[in-house]
Amino acid sequence: MGKFIVIGERIHCISPVIRKALSERDPGPILRRAKEQIEAGAQYIDVNIGPAESDGEELMQWIVKLLQENFDNVPLSLDTVNSKAIEAGLKVYDRSKGKPIINSANAGDRITNIDMAAEYDAIVLALCSKEGIPADNDERMLYCQEMLERGMSLGMDPMDMWFDPLFLVIKGMQDKQTEVLEAINLISQMGLNTTGGLSNVSNGMPKHIRPIMDSAMIAMAMQCGLTSAIANPCDQRLMETIKSCDIIKNNTLYADSYLEL
Amino acid sequence: MPFKRTPQTFNSSIKTVKIGTGDHAVELGGATTFPFYTFDSQSNWVPKIGVEVSDLGVGHWPAGIREYYDCAGSVAEIARKASQVKGADFVCLHFEGADPNGHDRSAEECVQIACEVAEAVEVPLVIAGSKNTEKDAHLFEKIARALHGRNALFLSAKEENYKAVGAAVGLAYGHKVGAESSVDINLAKQLNILLNQLGVSTESIVMDPGSAAAGYGFEYLVSTMDRVRSAALSQNDAMLQMPIITPVSFETWNVKESVLPEEDMPQWGPAEERGVHMEVVTAVACLASGSDAVILRHPRSIETVSSLIRALLG
Repeated sequence: MGKFIVIGERIHCISPVIRKALSERDPGPILRRAKEQIEAGAQYIDVNIGPAESDGEELMQWIVKLLQENFDNVPLSLDTVNSKAIEAGLKVYDRSKGKPIINSANAGDRITNIDMAAEYDAIVLALCSKEGIPADNDERMLYCQEMLERGMSLGMDPMDMWFDPLFLVIKGMQDKQTEVLEAINLISQMGLNTTGGLSNVSNGMPKHIRPIMDSAMIAMAMQCGLTSAIANPCDQRLMETIKSCDIIKNNTLYADSYLEL
Repeated sequence: MPFKRTPQTFNSSIKTVKIGTGDHAVELGGATTFPFYTFDSQSNWVPKIGVEVSDLGVGHWPAGIREYYDCAGSVAEIARKASQVKGADFVCLHFEGADPNGHDRSAEECVQIACEVAEAVEVPLVIAGSKNTEKDAHLFEKIARALHGRNALFLSAKEENYKAVGAAVGLAYGHKVGAESSVDINLAKQLNILLNQLGVSTESIVMDPGSAAAGYGFEYLVSTMDRVRSAALSQNDAMLQMPIITPVSFETWNVKESVLPEEDMPQWGPAEERGVHMEVVTAVACLASGSDAVILRHPRSIETVSSLIRALLG
């Protein structure tokens, strides 16, 4: 197995700084956030431009080119519910450093994003849900199968479908956490890649608690087979945990300076 | 069911490190598959062979070697003849005599010899030290300065002296730095990281993850090299993607199989034959485990190993 993959989550329209920069096409704040995430060890950068209904296509192309030109064609995850904007981004994407990620498809109305991934030879994050949160793991696995079959029937390499069991917020859904871990285990046993929005887990917790909870969750999820996550690479505790788990899982070779790499 | 062949390919490769200058420069590394796995993917990888030359001359070496270097008096003259051995890609000037517990040759004398050798040969130079980490750090600094512009490879920086050696050889005078660890895969990676953090680029480092003669803890060495190459390619570990050099002759000509005279061991046959066999067998096993270059002593070993490489890689 390869190293765990961190998709940096910090270019997100929910942040006021980024939202303003997106609407004003101001490269400064976007480049700063990309730089700090790459330096912190993110292999992919997620770009969430929001629904961007009026100008999504132009906006996605602008940000894809901006980031790839400034950071040696850093691989990106194109994150919006606006499929047209994703497709526009794919058209200008340079894949010399890695395939683009489509974030995301599901088993419901966004299942056609799998078709787009097949057409553009992209990786797709496949949410194991149809509408809202799946009731249980039977439902999760059903959606997983549906999406897998659709991708494979279109000629996709199953390893390019990264299945997301949906991480759930602990404050409110504490009793569901082990089920999510079991889902990761079930999907991993099929030899498939998995991913998820890790920060959901600690949503609403005090700021100083979040890195602790996220780190504990990632360690347990990696033991269940999780191969990537959309997470905050600037969280030092989290990155140290991931690097240590990669050593324990024999994904990377130990050296005394492994945390500095 | 018919056999379906699935080539094992990687999205990674071993870095290429250039030693020497101009038309005579040689590239070490560049592998994209496991050694000699030409059935997985075509590549331009060809392992290289260096000829060992000692600052002590050839007087203490077997008759066959002395015969080849017949008439060659000075170390520079020996080196010139060494560079003409069939199958040789570079010359390794080994300062055995610099060892403080042996001849303790001064750095100044060594510099003079190095300069004379550099003058006499056009092929790339590899400078090997005395194995004394303190002396080598001092010696390498002086020789690196004197050979500035020759793009030589220095064997080696170790955990104890990597700062001094890396700074002088790699940073100040732009030579290539050997990173030697003693058959410890984690330390091999760590030393590469430390040299890299010092500022030596990954394209300027050649690893020596240890050496041993066949039969002398050799399986341990082979398994270490196998794992280094495997992590470099399959895990795309940039801190293990440096080419590997193995000074085979430094080990094989010291073991009893190569040294004991025929009078003491009549059933073993002539000592020199055994020495050549030990050198060839060890070198070939190293190449099969990931060495991108081997250093050999006997002209016959060099010819044998070189023809084997040509036969396998066409």
